[in-house]
Amino acid sequence: VKKLRLSAQTVCLLTQFATRPTVWRYGYELSRETGLKSGTLYPILIRLAKHSMLETKWVVTEDGVPPRHTYRLTAKGAEAAKHLAKETRLPWKARRPALVGGKA
Amino acid sequence: MRQISYPRRLACLLLRFALKITPPDRTDWARAMLSELEHVEGNWQAMRSAFGGTVILAKHALLSAILPKGIRGPVPLGSESLLADKPLRKSTLAALVSCVVVALLFFLAPGFRQGFQVALVQWQNFIHVTGSDRDPDLDAIARRAENEKDAEALAFVAVRHRNTEESQRLSDEAVRLGPNLTWVYAVVAVHHPEVSEIDSWIQKLQPWDPQNALAHLIVAERIGIDQIERGDIPHRADEESVAWLDAMSGAFQSAKLDCYLDRLKELDRKVLVRYAIHDPYQVFESEAWSGLPSYAVWDSARYAEFLLQQGKVLESKGDRLGASEKYSTVTRFGDLLGPMARFLMRPRTIDAYRRLGEMSQRAGNEEQAVLYFRLAGQLENARRQDYPSLWEEYRRGVVPRWNASAVSVSGLVFLCSAAMGLICITVIFTKNRNLRLSTIRPGRLLSGFGLGSVLGLLFSCVTLYITYHPYAEIFRRYVQDGDESGIPELQVFLRTAQMPLGIRNLFRTDYYVFYFWLGLTVLGIRALIVMVVRQFVNHRRPGPSVAA
Repeated sequence: VKKLRLSAQTVCLLTQFATRPTVWRYGYELSRETGLKSGTLYPILIRLAKHSMLETKWVVTEDGVPPRHTYRLTAKGAEAAKHLAKETRLPWKARRPALVGGKA
Repeated sequence: MRQISYPRRLACLLLRFALKITPPDRTDWARAMLSELEHVEGNWQAMRSAFGGTVILAKHALLSAILPKGIRGPVPLGSESLLADKPLRKSTLAALVSCVVVALLFFLAPGFRQGFQVALVQWQNFIHVTGSDRDPDLDAIARRAENEKDAEALAFVAVRHRNTEESQRLSDEAVRLGPNLTWVYAVVAVHHPEVSEIDSWIQKLQPWDPQNALAHLIVAERIGIDQIERGDIPHRADEESVAWLDAMSGAFQSAKLDCYLDRLKELDRKVLVRYAIHDPYQVFESEAWSGLPSYAVWDSARYAEFLLQQGKVLESKGDRLGASEKYSTVTRFGDLLGPMARFLMRPRTIDAYRRLGEMSQRAGNEEQAVLYFRLAGQLENARRQDYPSLWEEYRRGVVPRWNASAVSVSGLVFLCSAAMGLICITVIFTKNRNLRLSTIRPGRLLSGFGLGSVLGLLFSCVTLYITYHPYAEIFRRYVQDGDESGIPELQVFLRTAQMPLGIRNLFRTDYYVFYFWLGLTVLGIRALIVMVVRQFVNHRRPGPSVAA
């Protein structure tokens, strides 16, 4: 069984989710909050979803705008993130958002 | 209607293209990226976001083309699915340390140490940027020899020292202590034609070895150098000074031409054993050359041409005896030069033999004419073989050249692996800040580099030892028994190893092999630097509390 390896960026993303575990989040919002660029963020999101630590859904926000993909921790993901938050430090990227401004 | 800028359009196009090549099980994610692009503020930020997403989707497309679906499929979930960096296991650490110890044990073998030294010779020109003419090893031998009044060791250093004044001083001291070493003056004068005491040395050399042409050739070279320094260069031999003509006449009248190479080899072997010198370059750097002054062959060819012209004039005047003497002088000296005469002197010698043959024919001495023509024919054949024999020499040197490249690359791999290993150790201890094995948790990247460096150390040591061993044996046999078999291969090997990697055998295959490994090494070093910088940045700036 292939296991999920916890890179610094993965830990950063999980802890970010853990700050509001029940809230559905957008990819761009997560990117701004964690400072992770799309090329890093999406592979992590894919992996977390693959390991059933994230649940995803499409939501329609406004007319004429394509539906957006949103993400939220599953119970298992929340448990893992809670466990990690105790002992893991945030990586350096978490303090400098990659994309400034924008609509979340 | 909302106006969409060109960069944003381009970003959308990029992601739409990526969507087309995305494998079916990732299409949702590609759409997610595309829809998020609408919300990214700033055109260039959108471009960056699209580019990052495209790269990832392209990677997935590539993987889907290469790997079967089963391998990339969903992964079962379990509480054990979270994997933090594992602590270093004792068995792994023991294996790594064993490899390093085995690699270091090679240094106990003298042959390996010698090979390692040879592998690093190519970097000497980069390390000694000052271009100093001092050699600490030679200076140490000279100091010891002076203390012990060892004339042979002083001569050993004198013929090798790159500093003219020091070489001159040591030569005088060696000959003062051992008058039978007077020949050292000739060897040093060939190495350093600019020596100020050359006239007094020649006055000592000529009575010591009166039949040798070498002293005359040294004098002729000295005159030639003086003329070049003055800018007064004669184009023909008959325009030369009387002193030069006298010197060349003396050389052509001499009964032998001895460059004292045999005496030098004997002296080398004695000093190498007495002073436990294991550096092959100390021996073969000086013996690779013919022992003749650099102007000697050119001067000889010009003087031979001069004699041939004189012979023709005498022949036209009917002075057959005088002409025959001139031609015979040329042939005798041509024979003395032997293989060193090829290219420049040999055509003149052939010409002289033919003229002697023609003169004998005209005199009705058919037997002598046949002999002269046969000698001319032999030289002509040898001349035709000159270029093929050079090619043959080059071809025979292919194996030593490959071995030299293997040894040089092994030395480079050893240094890079050692540096990489040290960086890995530094990073691990900087990260963990203590030496407890259970707390050492190298990441996947660090483990890879660490393992690579250890394997690199071991592999380079084994390769270097196996490749250099035959040459170490040739050197040992030469020093201990005077066995010269294999010396030409050793010389080719040493000459090649001395050249920096990358400029050897231009346009040949190992040229590209070198750049492949260089590229790989540079990429490895770059990755290490990035890793180290990240580690330091992580440690210096503590992040905000997660729980907050």
